[in-house]
Amino acid sequence: MTSDKSTIRPATGEGTTDASTRRTVPPSAEAQLSSPGRVGTGVSSIALHAGFGAGLEAPPGTVALGAVEADGDVEVMLRVKAGDEDAFGYLLQKYRRAMVHFMFRTTRTQAAAEDLAQEVFLRVYRSRQSYEASAKFTTWLYRIATNLAINHARDTKNERPENTVSVDAKNEETGQSFDLADGALTAEQHLVRRERLMAIRAKVLGLPEKQRTAVLMHKYQGLDYKQIAEVLKLSESATKSLLFRAYETLREQLKEFV
Amino acid sequence: MRSNMKCEEVRETLPDLAAGLMEPSDGMREHLQACALCGAQLQEFRQTMALLDEWEAPEPSPYFDTRLQARLRQEKAVEAARGHGWLAWLPRPALAMAAALAVAAGVAVWQHHASGTVAENGARVMRGVVQTPSAERGTAVSDLQTLDKDNDLYADFDVLDDIDSQQNSATATATN
Repeated sequence: MTSDKSTIRPATGEGTTDASTRRTVPPSAEAQLSSPGRVGTGVSSIALHAGFGAGLEAPPGTVALGAVEADGDVEVMLRVKAGDEDAFGYLLQKYRRAMVHFMFRTTRTQAAAEDLAQEVFLRVYRSRQSYEASAKFTTWLYRIATNLAINHARDTKNERPENTVSVDAKNEETGQSFDLADGALTAEQHLVRRERLMAIRAKVLGLPEKQRTAVLMHKYQGLDYKQIAEVLKLSESATKSLLFRAYETLREQLKEFV
Repeated sequence: MRSNMKCEEVRETLPDLAAGLMEPSDGMREHLQACALCGAQLQEFRQTMALLDEWEAPEPSPYFDTRLQARLRQEKAVEAARGHGWLAWLPRPALAMAAALAVAAGVAVWQHHASGTVAENGARVMRGVVQTPSAERGTAVSDLQTLDKDNDLYADFDVLDDIDSQQNSATATATN
C-alpha cells in the first residue's frame, strides 16, 4: 500500500449510469462532476467504498488518494501498478456497473454478463504491471471489454438464436428479467413492449461487429467519438461515419416500432 | 433557404444531436430549420434513440462483488505461487532465460571443478604422494591404525629404556 494517499471522496457514486438517461451537461458542471452517463472522465474528487472485501479492504471511513484531476483514473491506475490495492478497489467500484451493462447488451444472460465483466477486471489486475498511461483509462478498459465481448459473441454465435431469447426469463439470483417490466402495463401492452424489446435487441446485435460495438459504447455507455475511435482503432471521421450508418440501419429497421 | 453549412457536415453530428450529447451550434440550428431533409432525419433519429432507451440493463447482482473478490483472491494466490515477488519485474521469457543460464553456469562450474580434481589426483599419483586416507574413527581400520602408532611409540620407549640401562651400567662400572 502506498503511504502518501490523500482522501478519496464521493463524486458520482458509481462511475457511470446508463447512458440512455444522459443529456448534455453544461461545461461548468462537467468541470466538477462526471455527467451522469459519462464514465468518470471528469471527476474532481472520488470516493472508495470502504471495506470492499478481503484484500481490497479500505481502512474505516474514506481512503486517502487525493484530489484527482480531469483524467484522474490514469493516476489511480498508476497507483494500482505501484501496488495500491485500494486504488484498484476504487476503479472496480466505479466501473463495475458500466461493465455489467456493457456486457449485458452483448450476451444472452445476466450471469454471462457478470462473468465477463469480472473477467475484464481480472485482466486489468493481471495487466497492471504493463499498464502505460498513454491513453485514457476508459479507452484501455473498453478495449479489454470489447475484445472479450467480441470473442464471446464469436464463440457463442451458434448458441444465440436472437429470436428465441426469452425476455421473460428471470435471473435466478436477482429475479430481474430481460424485460424490466412496468407493473402499470396491461397484458396487451406488455406483449407489445416485449415484442419491441426483442426487436431492438435483435437489430442492435444484428449489426456488423464494429457498428454494434460502436453503438453500444455511444448510445449506452456514453463514450464520445474520440474514445470510440481509440477503442476501435479507427479515425474519428471513420467512427462518425460508422455510427451514422449504424443508426441509419436501426432507424430503418425499427421504424415500424416508432 | 439553406444555411452555409452543408448537409454532410450536419448529418455526421445527427447521432450526437439526437442522443442529446451535444447542443447544435447556431449554424447547425439554422441549417436544420432551413433543410427539410436534415430536419426530418434528426427527428427520426430522435425517435430511434428514444426507442433504444427502452432496452435497459439490470443492476449488478448482489453476488457480483463476492464472486469477483473470490476470483481476485484466487488470482493473487496464483501470482504468489508463481513467485510474484522481487523477480516480478522480469518478463517471463527473460526469467526463463535467466534460469536456464543459471543452471548452465552451475553445471559448467561443477564440471570444471570435477575435472580439476581428477587432474590433481592424477598428478599426485604420478608424484607418488598419494596419502592413505585416514579412516573414520571407531572403525576396525581406525583401531588397527591406532595400534600401529602405539607400537611405534612402545618401540621408542624400549629404545629409551635401553639407553637408560646402558648409562646406568656404565656409571656402576665406573664407580667400581
